[in-house]
Amino acid sequence: MKAPILEVRDLRKLFPVGPAQGWGGARPLVRAVDGVSFALERGEVLALAGESGCGKSTLALTLMGLEAADAGAIWFDGQDVTQARGAALKTLRRHVQMVFQDPYESLNPMMTIGEIVAEPLVVHGLAGTAPERQTRVLKALEEAGLKPADHFAGRRPHELSGGQRQRVVIAAALVLEPSVLLADEPVSMLDVSIRAEILNLLSDLRERRGISVLFITHDLSTVAYFADRIAVMYLGRIVEIGPTRAVLRAPQHPYTRALLSVVPVPNPRLRRERVILQGETPNPVRIPPGCRFHPRCPVVTERCRSVDPALTPAADLGHAAACLLLDQA
Amino acid sequence: MTSSAPTSDFRAFWRSVRANRMALAGLAMLAAALLVAVAAPWLAPYDPEASLRVTIEDVYAPPSAAHWLGTDDGGKDVLSSFLYGARVSLTVGFFASFISVVIGGLIGLTAGYYGGRVDNVLMRFTDIILVIPDLPLTLVLVALTAPSLFNIILVIGIVGWTGTARLVRSQTLAVKERKFVTRARAIGASSPRIIARHILPLVLPLLVVNTVLVISLAILNESTLSFLGLSDPTAVSWGQMLNFAFTRGAMSVGAWWALVPPGFGIVWVVLGCTLLGYGLEQILNPRTQSHHLSAGARMVARLTERLTSQEDRLARPPAPRPPDDLSAAPVLLEVRDLSVEFVSPGAAPARAVEGVSFSLRRGEMLGLVGESGCGKTTLMLSLLRLLPASGRITSGEVLFLGRDLLGLSEGEMQAVRWSELAMVFQGAMNALNPVRTVGDQIGEAIRRHEVVNDAARLDRRVCELLDLVGIAPERRAQYPHQYSGGMRQRAMIAMALACNPQVIMADEPTTALDVMIQAQVLELLASLRRQLGLAVIFVTHDLGVVAEVCDTVLVMYGGVAAESADVDTIYNQPQHPYTQQLLKAFPDVSQVGGRLVSIPGYPPRLNALPPGCRFAPRCPAAFARCHTEPPALHAVARAHTASCHLLDPAEAGRRAGRAA
Amino acid sequence: MKRYQFLLQKFAWALFTILFVLVLNFFLFRVLPGDPARAGVRDPRLTKAAQEALRVRFGLDKPVINCFETLNPLRLGDCWVNPLETQFFIYLGNLLSGDLGTSYHTNRPVAAILAERLGNTVLLVGLGTVLSIVIGIALGVVAAWRARTLIDYAALVGSLVAWSLPTFWLGIILLLWGSTQFGLPLGGKATPGLAFASPLEAWWDTGRHLLLPTLTYTIIFVAEYVLIMRSTMLDILAEDYILTAKAKGLTTFQILKDHALRNAALPIVTIVALNLGFTVAGAIQIESVFSWPGLGLATYEAIVRRDYPLLQGAFLLLAISVIFANLFADLLYSFLDPRVQTG
Repeated sequence: MKAPILEVRDLRKLFPVGPAQGWGGARPLVRAVDGVSFALERGEVLALAGESGCGKSTLALTLMGLEAADAGAIWFDGQDVTQARGAALKTLRRHVQMVFQDPYESLNPMMTIGEIVAEPLVVHGLAGTAPERQTRVLKALEEAGLKPADHFAGRRPHELSGGQRQRVVIAAALVLEPSVLLADEPVSMLDVSIRAEILNLLSDLRERRGISVLFITHDLSTVAYFADRIAVMYLGRIVEIGPTRAVLRAPQHPYTRALLSVVPVPNPRLRRERVILQGETPNPVRIPPGCRFHPRCPVVTERCRSVDPALTPAADLGHAAACLLLDQA
Repeated sequence: MTSSAPTSDFRAFWRSVRANRMALAGLAMLAAALLVAVAAPWLAPYDPEASLRVTIEDVYAPPSAAHWLGTDDGGKDVLSSFLYGARVSLTVGFFASFISVVIGGLIGLTAGYYGGRVDNVLMRFTDIILVIPDLPLTLVLVALTAPSLFNIILVIGIVGWTGTARLVRSQTLAVKERKFVTRARAIGASSPRIIARHILPLVLPLLVVNTVLVISLAILNESTLSFLGLSDPTAVSWGQMLNFAFTRGAMSVGAWWALVPPGFGIVWVVLGCTLLGYGLEQILNPRTQSHHLSAGARMVARLTERLTSQEDRLARPPAPRPPDDLSAAPVLLEVRDLSVEFVSPGAAPARAVEGVSFSLRRGEMLGLVGESGCGKTTLMLSLLRLLPASGRITSGEVLFLGRDLLGLSEGEMQAVRWSELAMVFQGAMNALNPVRTVGDQIGEAIRRHEVVNDAARLDRRVCELLDLVGIAPERRAQYPHQYSGGMRQRAMIAMALACNPQVIMADEPTTALDVMIQAQVLELLASLRRQLGLAVIFVTHDLGVVAEVCDTVLVMYGGVAAESADVDTIYNQPQHPYTQQLLKAFPDVSQVGGRLVSIPGYPPRLNALPPGCRFAPRCPAAFARCHTEPPALHAVARAHTASCHLLDPAEAGRRAGRAA
Repeated sequence: MKRYQFLLQKFAWALFTILFVLVLNFFLFRVLPGDPARAGVRDPRLTKAAQEALRVRFGLDKPVINCFETLNPLRLGDCWVNPLETQFFIYLGNLLSGDLGTSYHTNRPVAAILAERLGNTVLLVGLGTVLSIVIGIALGVVAAWRARTLIDYAALVGSLVAWSLPTFWLGIILLLWGSTQFGLPLGGKATPGLAFASPLEAWWDTGRHLLLPTLTYTIIFVAEYVLIMRSTMLDILAEDYILTAKAKGLTTFQILKDHALRNAALPIVTIVALNLGFTVAGAIQIESVFSWPGLGLATYEAIVRRDYPLLQGAFLLLAISVIFANLFADLLYSFLDPRVQTG
């Protein structure tokens, strides 16, 4: 098996928040990403799931080099790109593209669709001549499902619907022929009847182009259709990772179990007992000692209060969870 | 890509300027002033420089045929001075504002884009300059330098940049935070490129508006300086004419003609700038046509219209009835054939809700499902008669315990709101007033509908309500911003319960919440319903949530009721193609793998509806009749209706005949 | 942020700004050409000895500040002089002891002149500010509530026109009109040479003098408050919490009073604070037109008579008043905005 296209080892990202503590004191730190490790295989769709504030979006920004990592390493295609600057960073940004949540906000309202899709080519000095660029732009638009492409190229974002705008964002990512796509909640702002189209489009791209996708979402139900593997994040760390089927059918971490039990299922015959965790995710400034989930855990033991569990393999191949209960089994 | 884009943008912009009376008037006034300034040598009857032979009759001579605006203290023609004065005033205005805008623009852009320490230093500096009163500073600077036109322009320009800097900075900050800038950075675009391509084009329109206003301020400043005697003696501006007239006896001889015209000139130009700036701002940031307190179109259509609609209703099947276990409960709310439209000038009315009927029994939880823009929120607001001013109810009845709410006076309606029907709004952050405590806002609802003389009792009620929704009563003295998203939604629910209403309408109450918090809120609503016997209308786009908590479901599409039945029937025997497609498109965590089905196309625009069935353009089962004739509501089974031609018995017969 | 932290920060900032103004005031009047003290010293008609005597008298023989003998930054001087023997620290020391110099024109201490003028300006500006805020808020609320009706358009256009009027010109026109039509006094604070039988008569006389300046001030400033209040209220009335209030069954009056006005207080305080600089500008113009013996008229007279010590003193006093008024606005803000109270 070839080396993973993207690998992250013990990545950490801290943000100072609020005023300093006392005169000349340090500002408190939010541990947004607190020791995350995973590998994205070639041609794989890995879903990074978690509630808001779990650090998944910060992780994406750090991977793109839009935020500097405080510790740990990011490897892209066999090279350490953690501290990449200048030309190296630019190369990375050619191969790793990002799709954002809000299609209404991620397009410059003053530019035409053609200019938006052509911009990455201009920035990277690819496709020097105008006709060549035009050809590639039209091809990318068609590939993103905007047909006829020349009909869309001269339009402006406000003339398009939400789904079409998200397709433009995807086209602007495809035009560079990237190997990795970071999709941060790409469908959460879209209507249900449109969502499926975008998910199917991403799915097709993976099959046709072999693009690896890191799919960041809070919605476990879309993950079920789309991802090869799932990583569940809680308070800045991955608490469970494994093949989609294994994680969804046999969740090992109590947090995953609770999360899955409260995802609404569109069938009234399947109403079931739900594990509703009380309270809210703790403030990431003061991460609980021991297992970070223990204050809300329904099966907490005495050991959980002091021991911080590492990811431990579960029964299925490639399935692991950070829970002491697994350790004992 | 296309070179025609900028020109078409300009044309669209020009169209909106022409439609804006203020901008147009301002533009015309400025153009006239500019024309006068340029053409002064040809227009002026006398040379203002030439020294006349002055006799005593010539000093402050009133307007006459020879001197239309009379003469000044030196016996010179006021009209000629006035025309030439336009040149000086406009020159100072344009050049000084150019200096201000360039300095302020650069400082604002730098501070906003680079942020951090750069921003801190630049903005602190701006703050200091801002608190130093600018006229005294200008006066001191001009008084200490030689009062030449060049110095005046320079000083006014250098003193007047702070406003521009602050404006440009805040706009730059706002644009910089927008996702398309992050996306450009993620592509690898350099800072100069981001500033030039992504930030400047979005800051520029505001900068233009600001420049127009800075010009007017510069002209006012110049006139003030001149009036106070600090002007270039060789360049006679309007302010200077006023200075001469005022200090040289025009007041005592009552020579209004020497005092009025120069001031009129200043007001003309400054008002032109102000109107143009105000108009341009309206074009750039169009405000909504109305607000929640503006008087709207007549709420209910005329009586005759309502009568015809009632006759019409007789032909329709009765509203669906809830399933058996609820059918014994009394009907609280019955909505019959409700239609709502929005009117906007120059456009066809948007038929946001059309002919919707449903009923709600005590203890029932009705799910109102549909995608954005299908009219579900409009329907809810019209039940409480809270539609915006452009909306009006064109037909129908809203019967609450047999009383038609649409027939009540506004005062009677105010008494019904919240005490009988309360509402939980979508974004609790915006639905709660940020400057009042949560407890105060809950207590306000109680005080409005009940006579409460005892402050301690009111406080106890507020505590009980908060306790009921799982918020520690001590937190009643806190403000909404101190609550988390889930807690705000709980507080909103506590507020809805304050006056013991019979019906609660919850409009997407969990949409912005995380799935665990959503589960908590849903659980709370469900348990409150059991405890208090509430009837709840649950508006959502999330089919999963409806399946979890509702008893009955009304599916809306494009403003009409597509299908309505009990929850099990909707999910397991849907009859309307839209319901069927929507269920296939909805992801289900219990189904691993497989592919979601998407519905091609987009929901209809409500002011350009298809002539037939509103779903026909996207419907996989549509046939010719669907594109020409809107379907009626057909009863499928008891308490199950759907509006689809496929369910028309006649259609079924026709098809069977054709098959045979 | 806690309130005391917020206020501490603002207070420290105000002190820093005052320091900046002091430094600016010192250097502005020394760097720029036209300072009569130095011009007089350089007068070629004077003998060397007389020039030197003048230099000593104005303190120009001392170094400007440590390391700088003169204002030429390229010519460094001795850094080891006693700071108290430099022009800058002498100036600071004099300020601290309340000595703002002596007026060239009247030969009286500047501080004394300013002190007797201050009360008159506070009277005019205070009255005008209160009137314009009250009227402005009322008109703005009505205009926004009745948006897109005749009342709204009249208030909007009227305010835009009033905003475009040069203050001094409006004063002149009102003066011309008031003095000819109603026999109101042409200026000043009291009718000269009139002995008053009772304090009531004296007040009546002052009131007649105060009427037109106050009217001018109010018209100029009401315009901006109407515009700001109108747009703020339009924004607020479109907010979701107004819909909540309406859904709660509150009457229009209750909504305007308890929800809209309360929320509009913050932007109004901010804009009043930002306006303080313009207040000074208004005072200078109005007092000049009406010869109202306040700080503005003192500034005007100082400019006309090239009375630099008086100009310097007036500028300092005006700038510091605005800084303190800003600090007061921040204080008010901290009580109105719950986010400052509780963070």
